[in-house]
Amino acid sequence: MSAADGRDRRHHVDSLLMRESLLDKDVMRSTETPVVRMLPHAHVVKIGGRSILDAGRGVVYPLVETLAEVLQTKKLIIGTGGGVRSRHMFSVGLDLGLPTGVLAQMAAADALGTAHILGTLLAPHGVVAIPPEIFGHLLPLFMRAAPGVIFNGVPPYSLWEHPPAIGRIPPHRTDAGSFLLAECFGCKSLILVKDVDGLYDRDPRKHPSAVMIRDIGGRELKQRKLESLPFDRVLLDLLANARLLTQFQIVNGHEPERLAAALDGEHVGTIVHR
Amino acid sequence: MTEELLSALGRALVDGSLTDDEVLEETGQPPAVTILPQANVIKIGGQSFIDRGRAAVFPLMEEIAANLGTHEMIIGTGAGTRARHAYSVGLDLGLPTGVLSVLGTFVSMQNARMIHYLLAKHGIPFIEPVQFAQLPLYLAERGAVVFFGMPPYTFWQQNPAVGRIPPHRTDTGAYLIAEVFGARSMIYVKDEKGLYTADPKKDPEAEFIPRISIAELAELDLPDVVVERAVLELMPHARHCRSIQVINGLEPGTLTAALAGEHVGTIISADGAPA
Repeated sequence: MSAADGRDRRHHVDSLLMRESLLDKDVMRSTETPVVRMLPHAHVVKIGGRSILDAGRGVVYPLVETLAEVLQTKKLIIGTGGGVRSRHMFSVGLDLGLPTGVLAQMAAADALGTAHILGTLLAPHGVVAIPPEIFGHLLPLFMRAAPGVIFNGVPPYSLWEHPPAIGRIPPHRTDAGSFLLAECFGCKSLILVKDVDGLYDRDPRKHPSAVMIRDIGGRELKQRKLESLPFDRVLLDLLANARLLTQFQIVNGHEPERLAAALDGEHVGTIVHR
Repeated sequence: MTEELLSALGRALVDGSLTDDEVLEETGQPPAVTILPQANVIKIGGQSFIDRGRAAVFPLMEEIAANLGTHEMIIGTGAGTRARHAYSVGLDLGLPTGVLSVLGTFVSMQNARMIHYLLAKHGIPFIEPVQFAQLPLYLAERGAVVFFGMPPYTFWQQNPAVGRIPPHRTDTGAYLIAEVFGARSMIYVKDEKGLYTADPKKDPEAEFIPRISIAELAELDLPDVVVERAVLELMPHARHCRSIQVINGLEPGTLTAALAGEHVGTIISADGAPA
């Protein structure tokens, strides 16, 4: 397509949006255009709260060693989960009758605490937790200046969190925050580091006969209505609308070499694709 | 009172999966408290209202001032024409939805500051998301606050299913504030009486719909609706804000009537329309 074509289209879209309702379905279709990638070489790695960072030195230290090694050659954006403290805060907050938006606002603090815990351990490698207020806007600068950064995976939904279909737990938690960030910045991959090898047809902790699913499409997974998932359920909706991040991989952080392999593009856990 | 550190729900949340529907069902009880049950959330349209300038805005400011002392108002602002321009430029350059969301926030913030300066003589503050902790004090002291309607999702704004315009804009941001605070009402001030079967600006045959449920609205499958579709998707899950009213702010007295609980525009309800 020629440059002149591009320019024509811009004026067309320009005038279209000016005159029209942004709620009109046809107008919306006209806004489907290719998207640039802001950080195409960076990987987003979400480190589980309860599954990894609450599991103590035996689990965390080897994973930190692996991260340090990977950081010598790769750029990492590391999100952290809130873990057990978030679960406790949810239970107290729910008992006090607090709404979803308030629980979401408070959950950011737990994940930020975990981000600082990991940041302390990775500080010798030049990687620290970044305050959420400046994180998004300065991210490309940080990625040029440091081998990696850590953020609290919680998306800044706060009081504006959506009420969920069931119960009152905020639906957009740290897996979702990490996904949305990777999608917006056009990152190379998203890896969710958990304490299971991947996705199973049933909870492997309760059912020893559970079978691991190595590769599955988001739509099929949604249809299968599994009783529990090792990641935020809303990820399946986000994946369906993704333009740049067309898959993510779940790996077992209790075997850190799997994270290194996944960052090399290997299939070592479960890949969920669009 | 037991000596247990964790309640049964606490144990389920700490040990269980937050993706398990059985665990999640437990988290609906006890019901959510209403944080600001006496407050009304009012959203003033950007393109539909503020962009019309003095002729539209000044009488509405007077009407808001006249309601101070009678009704508490949390006033959000739309973005409008400049957001459309920013979106057009951004789409052409290939910018992602999250960045368009940042651009929309800036425009919505400009409009909030304009409305704020027109109401400043009444001691009404403009608050950013980080200042919402002071909102109850301002409401109690001055009866109203102004905020920008855009939800603060910025780079974390979700993609829409179709196109790239941020799906959660100022209608949604205002709605979620009404929901989380358990506000008394959610009123959208626009330049049309409410919902029509088609865009009344383009189609003279368009028929006015005074009251409709979300289910009925979904069945009509209108090509264009008067509030963001995300609001209609969120409403069925709402604990508090189960209905909204869209009114024509260009007609004097309409906002006052809506604040008094009168039906003067289109009421959209998550539950079936009452007989």
